[in-house]
Amino acid sequence: MTRSAKRLGPARLRPVTAVSESNGATDDGAGDGATANPGNGAVTNGAAPVQMKPGRHREATLYHALHGAGAGDGRTLEQLREAALKAYEAAELPVWRRSGFWTTSLESLDLDALATSVAESGVPDVVSRTLPDRPRAGRIVQSAGAVVQVQLDEALAEKGVILCSLEQAFEQHRELASEWYCKRMPIDRNKLEAANAAFWTGGAFLYVPQGVVVEEPFEIVYAIDRAGVAQYGRTLVVGAPMSDFRVQEYDLAQDFEGQALHASAFELYLQDGARCRVAQLQDWGSGEVFDVSTRFVGVGRDAYCHWLPALLGGHLVRQHLELAVMGKGGDMAFRGLFFAEAHEHLDVFAVDLHETGPSGGDVHWRGTATGESRASFEGLIQIDPGAQQTHTYLQIHTMMLSPKARVDAIPSVLVSADDVSASHGGTVGELDETAIFYMQTRGLDRAAAVKVIVEGFFEPLVAELQDEALEELVRGKVEKKLAAARDDIEAYAASR
Amino acid sequence: MADLEIKDLHVRIEEREILRGVDLEINRGEIHALMGPNGSGKSTLANTLLGHPSYEVTQGSIVFKGEDLTDAEPHDRAKAGLFLAFQYPVSIPGVSVANFLRMAINAKRDEPIQVKEFRTQLQHAIELLDVDRAFTSRHLNDGFSGGEKKRAEILQMAMLQPDVAILDETDSGLDIDALRTVAEGVQKLHDEQGLGALIITHYQRILHYVKPEFVHILMDGKIVLEGGVELVERLEREGYDQIRQEVGAGAVAAGDSSV
Repeated sequence: MTRSAKRLGPARLRPVTAVSESNGATDDGAGDGATANPGNGAVTNGAAPVQMKPGRHREATLYHALHGAGAGDGRTLEQLREAALKAYEAAELPVWRRSGFWTTSLESLDLDALATSVAESGVPDVVSRTLPDRPRAGRIVQSAGAVVQVQLDEALAEKGVILCSLEQAFEQHRELASEWYCKRMPIDRNKLEAANAAFWTGGAFLYVPQGVVVEEPFEIVYAIDRAGVAQYGRTLVVGAPMSDFRVQEYDLAQDFEGQALHASAFELYLQDGARCRVAQLQDWGSGEVFDVSTRFVGVGRDAYCHWLPALLGGHLVRQHLELAVMGKGGDMAFRGLFFAEAHEHLDVFAVDLHETGPSGGDVHWRGTATGESRASFEGLIQIDPGAQQTHTYLQIHTMMLSPKARVDAIPSVLVSADDVSASHGGTVGELDETAIFYMQTRGLDRAAAVKVIVEGFFEPLVAELQDEALEELVRGKVEKKLAAARDDIEAYAASR
Repeated sequence: MADLEIKDLHVRIEEREILRGVDLEINRGEIHALMGPNGSGKSTLANTLLGHPSYEVTQGSIVFKGEDLTDAEPHDRAKAGLFLAFQYPVSIPGVSVANFLRMAINAKRDEPIQVKEFRTQLQHAIELLDVDRAFTSRHLNDGFSGGEKKRAEILQMAMLQPDVAILDETDSGLDIDALRTVAEGVQKLHDEQGLGALIITHYQRILHYVKPEFVHILMDGKIVLEGGVELVERLEREGYDQIRQEVGAGAVAAGDSSV
């Protein structure tokens, strides 16, 4: 892996857009330069405005960071629901396009055929089957549209920790919930985002008070146990100053025939000096599950967040993941791994946003694909004006395992401050036949050798979970996917 | 019948014939040296013996303990008791030396090895090879120095206890201390476990520390001279060119007759 550093000179007065595109191989140049960022008024040097093709869909062709205040802005929950409903009714199902090479389309989703059910009871099998048996600080489980289980360590409740459905939070802690709800989250960028903001039920609310340190994780679970469900997940987590805790989200579905939707919004705010490790394990099984989610993590002054989504399956998954340093001295490690298989379509847009400095950022993703799946990872480092003395690095590594799968990795850098370092690097790998032969000469068969390589590929990130139970779960899922793709991997080896 | 019998082995890589009729017999407990100039086919022989997919055997056979392994998968050859110490060991990020060793040992067994038994074996091997305990928790060959990589090869060999090991230029690129450790390791495994070894080398250095009983000289894909340890000394005095001139005509003649 090579690493490139970019340090912009002090003479530039205007915000500068530096977008580079590459297939994951290191590319520190200006790329094709023909892309612009429509979101924040930054200007591409001298380039003409992007022309959009005429047609039914006029969505942005380049993904961009959320910007400015969220939809909340003093509005009540009811007002927000109403505004979202209008946006929902006016919008078509979204299609995202980028540079003509990538399209994520929800056209095949039959939204009208899905229903949000609030009459749920009992924890779905897939949850009890998947979640590790381990000590936890608390757990909240939502099945379809209803929260079916809430557990919270009593000692923590006494310290003022709140874990309940978001609905309940708006009833019992209205002021607190309203203060943070939609603080940075938009509600109307596309039909499904609006649907979520208009229709969400249940939801999860976690509040960790000032100075409270919690060792064991809080588990937040969204489960879909049958086709025909539209699940609008809504999570709000607030870490008060100097709190220190872990959040583990599980997004799970039974294997079923037919369509289901998970459209969710996740907001997490860390106040001064708070620290949080967030992990997400997503595996929607073999059903036709669409997952369109927006997740925002805001890191306050001297706060720290380690965030690691493990995206391990879904028919069509579109994730906008944004980790923003909002206060001086904020620091973050943004990790992630993905494994797409069969005919899955995965579209990840991950933003490392620095709104102020000094701040630190470190983005490291790894992903692979088998079968005829397609995965796109776009990672953006955005450094806003004034975010001086920010130092950040983005790396994305991909491994090809199948001749028909496709993985795109696109790192980009958008810098509007002059005393910063922002760089990116990455690798595109395939199975190393020499390494396979090496292991075979030690007695491992080919499948075992491949497993060692792929697990080793993910291991640097899996080990960062720093949670044995969750690490084992992720390793087990990777192993299962590899076993399922065995013929495919053989075919790839033979084709080279 | 010898444990490892290589008969009239012809090997091709990408349409180029590298080995042109190699005959070699190696038994457990014997140390053989295979020497030859660059390009003579030494590494080809090593890789072919373990079944590297890029090398195509066009003629001849490899029989090990009575079993024809000419077309066997590499891992089956390993299970049968062959081992290859690589000239350029491959790094395997994400897997510790200890975990890899456990995997490799278990691949050869029906029941997984007991934790205690594994630890005892590992401890013994560590002492034998004079490596740090921390060494085994590092990722295999990842960021290892040249000497560390070669030590890791011998460590694996000690743990897997093959009948016959092929050491492909294990001595190249090693400083004298590392070379001595590696060579002494091989010698000890020979003495303690009855290891049979084929030490492939371009130089004579390693043979000052491990004493081969049989020496074979490979040139242009054929073994042109065989003898005892005195051959090493002769080679040291005369060099490959001298030997080539001497055997040149004979080698060609032998090649023709074997077709």
